[in-house]
Amino acid sequence: MAATEASGRAVARDGRARAGRLRPRRRSAADRRDARAGLALTAPALLLVGVFALFPLGFGVYISLTNWPLVGPYHFIGLSNYSSLIHNSVFLQSILFTLKYTAIVTIPIFVVGYALAVFVRSNRRGTTLFRTLIFLPYIVGLVAESFMAVVELQPNSGTANFVLSKLHLMSNTTAWTVHTGLATTAICILVIWFASGLTMMLLMAGMQGIPAEIYESARVDGASWWSAERRITLPLLRRSVALSLIISVVGSFLAFNQFFIITDGGPGTSTESVVMAIYQTAFADTDVGLASAMSVVLVIVVGLITFVQFHYLQRDSD
Amino acid sequence: MASVRSGRQQPGATAPVSHAGDGQVQGPRDGRARRGAGGRARSGLAVFIAGGILISAVFVLPLLWEVFRSLQPESTVSNPPSGASFSHLTFDTFRTLLSGQDNILRNVVNSLIVGVLTALLTAAVSTLAGYGFGLFRFRGSGLVFGLVLLAFMIPFQAVLTPLFLEMHFMHLLNSLIGLALFYTTFNLPVGVYVMRNSFLQVPREIVDAARVDGASVTRTLLSVLRPLVLPGIATSALYAFLFSWTEFLGALSFMTNDSLFTLPVALSNAETGTYGAVNYGLLLAGAVIAMIPCIVVYVALQRFYVRGLVSGALKG
Repeated sequence: MAATEASGRAVARDGRARAGRLRPRRRSAADRRDARAGLALTAPALLLVGVFALFPLGFGVYISLTNWPLVGPYHFIGLSNYSSLIHNSVFLQSILFTLKYTAIVTIPIFVVGYALAVFVRSNRRGTTLFRTLIFLPYIVGLVAESFMAVVELQPNSGTANFVLSKLHLMSNTTAWTVHTGLATTAICILVIWFASGLTMMLLMAGMQGIPAEIYESARVDGASWWSAERRITLPLLRRSVALSLIISVVGSFLAFNQFFIITDGGPGTSTESVVMAIYQTAFADTDVGLASAMSVVLVIVVGLITFVQFHYLQRDSD
Repeated sequence: MASVRSGRQQPGATAPVSHAGDGQVQGPRDGRARRGAGGRARSGLAVFIAGGILISAVFVLPLLWEVFRSLQPESTVSNPPSGASFSHLTFDTFRTLLSGQDNILRNVVNSLIVGVLTALLTAAVSTLAGYGFGLFRFRGSGLVFGLVLLAFMIPFQAVLTPLFLEMHFMHLLNSLIGLALFYTTFNLPVGVYVMRNSFLQVPREIVDAARVDGASVTRTLLSVLRPLVLPGIATSALYAFLFSWTEFLGALSFMTNDSLFTLPVALSNAETGTYGAVNYGLLLAGAVIAMIPCIVVYVALQRFYVRGLVSGALKG
């Protein structure tokens, strides 16, 4: 979206430059100064992105065509890393698990985030404070919270079991992290609690951009709160909805911290996310070639999701 | 629509929510009894605040609870809760954590160095680039801008393996500067986007006036434009700091020397435990220490954070 905007502006600039040809020499001197300054100013950013993002991307594609071990010589082996991925049960399982996890958390994060956004979007007394408090889990970050979850999910001593056993819902000795289902449940609850604040903020920002007059005229026409929400807010909010959904889907798809810290992928490899599988393949199994092939697949999937996002955003801004 | 309207008359669970938006509209409709309307508005506000406190509690109480737990001695944290959990509070765990053999003070300092460096680098590079993209015409500007935003599309998690090898060749593994450069790169899309918009919002006359006065490119930025784009600079620095402080996977991959571990990596090491014995009290206290700078920085600078969200520049 932004890129098209930029090229659009570039066209406008050319137009302006052409219009200014009445005084050719001064114009071109200023233009040259501008061009030099512009390139010099943007060079550091381009250099960093080139070195730490674009080059590794290309390098990763190259490595994925080799049997590169972490140390030692390597051979070019064509597409065999990719063809072996089809039979790589750990990778396939991690994809399935990550998809399942993404499917579980996306809707609750959105629904909770939407309800919270409706709650905090007004300018009533106290809303700013509520916004800040609800957003805190996101600011604190999933890493610190995962460590806290590790402590609180311990059998016999963790708060989770203590509370649940007092409510007669669970035994005090429940070992959350050694059961795939329980571990996934706990992590999903943690993530929904962590991420709905972000969805709230994004949707709230979108809601506040909708002119109040639209709601007023809807109310004059006798529209109820719910029908105004459905017929005005949701359609006008499509941009923010798309943005928040994609952020949460991409975020879930790239999940690593919570699984690495809370379950370490276990029991077995049953709660291993895609990024974790890549990490293990590269650094534990030292099969950098295979890990890079997995990464390329990941880039393509995430790229597709992001492309859909841009597609939606662009269609809406037209 | 009629059925929807009739549904509204039932006082349901969504009552505080529906009050949030339309308090003003009820005024004229209920104008017949002014005192009644005022009372309703006041009770509406009470319901709203009560609901807000309840909802906020869901999000904040767990964090507060962990702070409370971190003040319990380690024997309490790793045993079934009892009355003693509440009576005996101490800073012992923090004292152990910040001195002695499980010293994580060094890791806190590492995290701070990387965080501040990332924030400064991101702010500087984004400001320059935003200035260039926003106010200068040059061939290829659209292409360069597109390339910088491309880092937006590349999840850093997916280039970690090749980046590990590349950083090894560049001697940037086990280097706080290397880690900060890596973090800076993946904060640039947000930073450059925010800064370009900041510079585009500067009134053209100001830029032209500076030029007519003969101010150089640098002079214009430092003395004329700086105050105007300062909020944008704060926004990009804030995002970069929070990203860096809470990042785990990159630090875990690029740091193998424990004296250079950032706080989250050090905690993950502590979680693995020595000979299988994990000190949960220390782990909890460490997580609480990790949480504090985020909260302080965010609460102090949140209007800049929200600016970034509103400009839609964020991507998780």
